[in-house]
Amino acid sequence: MAWELILWLISFCIAMALLALTIYQLMCLSDMEFDCLNPYDTSSRINTVVIPEFVIQGALCVIFLLTWHWFMFLITAPVAYYNMKLFVKGKHLIDVTEIYRLLNGEKKYRIVKLIFYFVLFGIVIFRLVETAVTSLIDEDNDVYESGIF
Amino acid sequence: MQPMGNEKPGPPNFPGRPAISPFAAAPQTAMPFLSSGAVVRSEAPGYGVAPPVRFNGPSVLTLPSSYVSPNVGFNQPFPTPHFPSSAQPVPPSRGPPSAPRPVQPSAGQQVLPPPVSFHSQPQFPSVPMGPPPQILNLATPTGNFPQSPLESSFPAPRPTPLPSWSPLESSSPAARPSLQQSFHGYPGRQGNTVTQVPPAQSPFPTHQGSYIPAPPAQSPPFLAHQGGYAPPPPLAATVGLNSRDQMQHPGTGPPVGSLQGLVEEFSFLSLGSAPGSIDPGLDSKALPRPLDGDVEPNSFTEMYPLNCNPRYLRLTTSAIPNSQSLLSRWHLPLGAVVHPLAEAPHGEEVPVVNFGPVGIIRCRRCRAYVNPYVTFTDGGRKWRCNICALLNDVSGEYFSHLDVTGRRIDLDQRPELTKGSVEFVAPTENMVRPPMPPLYFFLIDVSLSAVRSGMLEIVAQTIKSCLDDLPGFPRTQIGFLTFDSTLHFYNMKASDSFDYLLYGKIAYLFFTIRISSLTQPQMMVVSDLDNIFVPLPDDLLVNLSESRSVVDVFLDSLPSMFHDNGNVESAFGPALKAASMIMRQLGGKLLIFQSTLPSLGVGRLKLRGDDLRIYGTDKEYALRIPEDPFYKQMAADLTKFQIGVNVYAFSDKYTDIASLGTLAKYTGGQVCYYPSFQSANHNEKLRYELARDLTRETAWEAVMRIRCGKGVRFTTYHGHFMLRSADLLALPAVDCDKAFAVQLSLEDTLLTTQTVYFQVALLYTSSSGERRIRVHTAAAPVVADLGEMYRRADTGAIVSLFSRLAIEKTLYQKLEDARHSVQLRIVKALREYRNLYAVQHRLGGRMIYPESLKFLPLYGLALCKSMPLRGGYADAQIDERGAAGYTMMTLPVKMLLKLLYPSLIRIDEYLVKASAKVDELGNFSKRLPLAAASLDPKGLYIYDDGYRFIIWFGRMLSPDIATNLIGIDLSGFPDLSKVSLCEHDNEVSRKLMGLLKKFRESQPSFYQLCHLVRQGEQPREGLLLFANLVEDQIGGTSGYVDWILQMHRQVQQSA
Repeated sequence: MAWELILWLISFCIAMALLALTIYQLMCLSDMEFDCLNPYDTSSRINTVVIPEFVIQGALCVIFLLTWHWFMFLITAPVAYYNMKLFVKGKHLIDVTEIYRLLNGEKKYRIVKLIFYFVLFGIVIFRLVETAVTSLIDEDNDVYESGIF
Repeated sequence: MQPMGNEKPGPPNFPGRPAISPFAAAPQTAMPFLSSGAVVRSEAPGYGVAPPVRFNGPSVLTLPSSYVSPNVGFNQPFPTPHFPSSAQPVPPSRGPPSAPRPVQPSAGQQVLPPPVSFHSQPQFPSVPMGPPPQILNLATPTGNFPQSPLESSFPAPRPTPLPSWSPLESSSPAARPSLQQSFHGYPGRQGNTVTQVPPAQSPFPTHQGSYIPAPPAQSPPFLAHQGGYAPPPPLAATVGLNSRDQMQHPGTGPPVGSLQGLVEEFSFLSLGSAPGSIDPGLDSKALPRPLDGDVEPNSFTEMYPLNCNPRYLRLTTSAIPNSQSLLSRWHLPLGAVVHPLAEAPHGEEVPVVNFGPVGIIRCRRCRAYVNPYVTFTDGGRKWRCNICALLNDVSGEYFSHLDVTGRRIDLDQRPELTKGSVEFVAPTENMVRPPMPPLYFFLIDVSLSAVRSGMLEIVAQTIKSCLDDLPGFPRTQIGFLTFDSTLHFYNMKASDSFDYLLYGKIAYLFFTIRISSLTQPQMMVVSDLDNIFVPLPDDLLVNLSESRSVVDVFLDSLPSMFHDNGNVESAFGPALKAASMIMRQLGGKLLIFQSTLPSLGVGRLKLRGDDLRIYGTDKEYALRIPEDPFYKQMAADLTKFQIGVNVYAFSDKYTDIASLGTLAKYTGGQVCYYPSFQSANHNEKLRYELARDLTRETAWEAVMRIRCGKGVRFTTYHGHFMLRSADLLALPAVDCDKAFAVQLSLEDTLLTTQTVYFQVALLYTSSSGERRIRVHTAAAPVVADLGEMYRRADTGAIVSLFSRLAIEKTLYQKLEDARHSVQLRIVKALREYRNLYAVQHRLGGRMIYPESLKFLPLYGLALCKSMPLRGGYADAQIDERGAAGYTMMTLPVKMLLKLLYPSLIRIDEYLVKASAKVDELGNFSKRLPLAAASLDPKGLYIYDDGYRFIIWFGRMLSPDIATNLIGIDLSGFPDLSKVSLCEHDNEVSRKLMGLLKKFRESQPSFYQLCHLVRQGEQPREGLLLFANLVEDQIGGTSGYVDWILQMHRQVQQSA
């Protein structure tokens, strides 16, 4: 029971981190769009957080797999796979020379990602609360763990 | 025309008005209506511009010769009684409905409205002041389609029993010539017009009492409308009609009657047969060809004489659309080609202005520089920025009184207020650091192939010969680094200190080969490629004037030093890194001489393109982009340190130009590729081009920004540079051979101004160490009519943008797609243009296009057959493709057009004629169409594309000429690839050399090597010449006639 709670807490932290990283990248891009940041700084800032983002996203995916949470795993796996493909192709980093031309695409890509992370975040919170409540209320009862998530 | 003609403090509604715009009278025109309150404000600007434009059009464009002569024929059809009946397939349906309807300029059917105004006016001649607003509105579209009014309006007046009508008729012929004249020379002869128009109108006051008070200063076209007096347009109309009837009809089928009363504002080709039939019905001789080379559009400077010369800035159309919807119907790119440092002919140099302590006068808000189009008001105490319309204060030192016309009294002494191009000396606020000295750093490959091809020797000799001419003496800095599998640094400090260097570090194997002394360079070898470090970081760059003797010694000994070098590896990446570490403090120009594929350390490249299966697939584009992100990253870093890279590549094998060229692409440099370099053959070319690179005037650590008025925005930039912010191009080293293309977009709202201003500002450090700003200002009218945009289009600029877009497209798509998109856009544009006229003209099997775009299809074809886009895998080496692509991205318009459609001239007659001088070549032969049919076996031809000359010896050419020229008898079928052209001691040979010299002088950016080829000498003949004859069908591509037919068919398909 406690393990379950800890798992969701960890997931919660990771989802938060993913959200924060994506928002940070978006902020850098829009800063550059409004001329507050030059392309060199923008790309180096964004590129430093790309790998950490991929890693923790992958880690979350693996955790779900190991803890046998099929549904969560299936949600996160495609993204992890996509990230891995980008990494293998070497296209995960922002190209500083063409950054203005790619700006709109990069923003769109990150906004989609942001939405996805939000959904993930919502689900994780739901599960976290559910787990916490269940564990508090039904301390005596063995009846827990059901539902779709 | 006197500049600053009307510095009128006048109507604040038109702040951006050009000081001496030809529409000087426009405000007055608009004012009466404003005061009568009947006019929509937003209409006024559009109107102000359109009419003059209309009448300018015909005179400006070199319209079909018929355009002038028709004057004669004018009177004939006019009085003919059956005119109405024979000429009217359309009008009846059009006239009536249109009468009361106000016309939206952007409405899809711009063609129709015009008749309205004319038609209605004669019918309701007594309507006093009510309609004017309406008519005014109508005037906008009317202006652009003068032809249709004629058709529809004329029948109507006839039956109308107007007593005054006959006077008009009788008086109008008299007035017409003068009117037309004044329209043509509109800006200049305005006064003339004003005095002449009233007589023509005399009959009118009787019905239109309200007409009399009309302000005398009104612009003529407008007067005409208001008075309901239509002759000017009909004049034009009949003119076109007659000319067409006379000149073209014999060959075409359609009934003459249907064409009467129509104006040919466009040019057309008659394609007699139905699509699909075998006989094209098209005479290939009649097709338009740019045999006079590039013609700069003069409408641009004619309308706005204060504009900078078109050599600096060329718009794709010098008529800016006023709305998004209009722009979307202009299917060609809207943008400009900017060539900020173009070489000016002697006497037209850009004046340098030094404001001294006053500082440069700039707009507070948009930071635009003061230019001829700013207006001074308030007695000279304020000036209005023409770009953002902000009222700025004039500082005390810059103050000058205005004379009665509103001109500054000191105008004559102010080049910045009278010239479209000026150069300001920048104050310290424009510097982030002290101006850098000119710095040249040479990164030279000394591996086996470089030595063997003779490249090293020639490079060393050329650099040495140029040392005296390097710009910026005595501040010039210089440095060298050579590399094979190791890096060799050279300490050339001419110092007294005497070091014997022996570094015994554990990590680095590093030792000295020579001992430094006063006159000997000291060489240091670094063989550790993973941890690049720079020994003696301070002494590797030296001041040329201080260390001249050491540099001389070094360059003398360089070829012999590596004479026996058998090393075939190339540690290019590490060498590049080392060079950037040496240069990062100062920046400068980095010249890379590379003759093998980089094979060691970072940035090592693989042999790509061996796998034939990849060609023609979706992955083919990958061969055209850099393989290793190292190169892009490196290029970005180099730009940051103000280092510009020029790449000279020499290999006979694959060197991955796509990757190497990236360095030049993002640092404002260029790629020079000498495939299979052999010093015997390419010696002169390399010498010349390297010398030009070293000695031409260079702008250091430059940035360029283009400002433009509200409502317009520059969105994409194409060329060699790096974007430092959304609209700031970073150009570490830029020179007179680089041009940039930009595309414009419109904001959502309608453009309400009549004129849009563009200002190109290039901030740079001159070789003399002065920070300067070169400013080019230009104005272009805003129009509400598509036909006008087409009429004022500039084929050169359009083709330039097209080619850059197409080349960029090849970087992520198939070649075929890039070619297809070029064709598609031309077709779309022609289709749109056809739709403009299709309604009222029975076009039948004719292909119509605006006079201004008559060469566009041919250039489109030539572009599709140019090196970067042509054919498939077998048609061009991947490296040559890449190098040509990089070159074409930087070429100025003129040179690009020459490259796309080279000149082919027959010269044997000229050579034989003893008395002919070099300048008289034109009398003997003209440029010929680029087709094999132009080649006569008895002739000697020269083909010149700006990069090379190909001299073609016909099979039946008189043996004397050949023998005189090359000293060999052609009948022995010698291998001409081994023969080089040199001057022989006879008149013919001397004349040819003189001719080549003259050609070379006229295109100084490159050296044209001369290739000789004999008719029938395959495969050289095919490769060298036939592959470049763009009008012929070459290996599956279409010829010119086919291309036109293809386009015509596509245009018609959905027309």
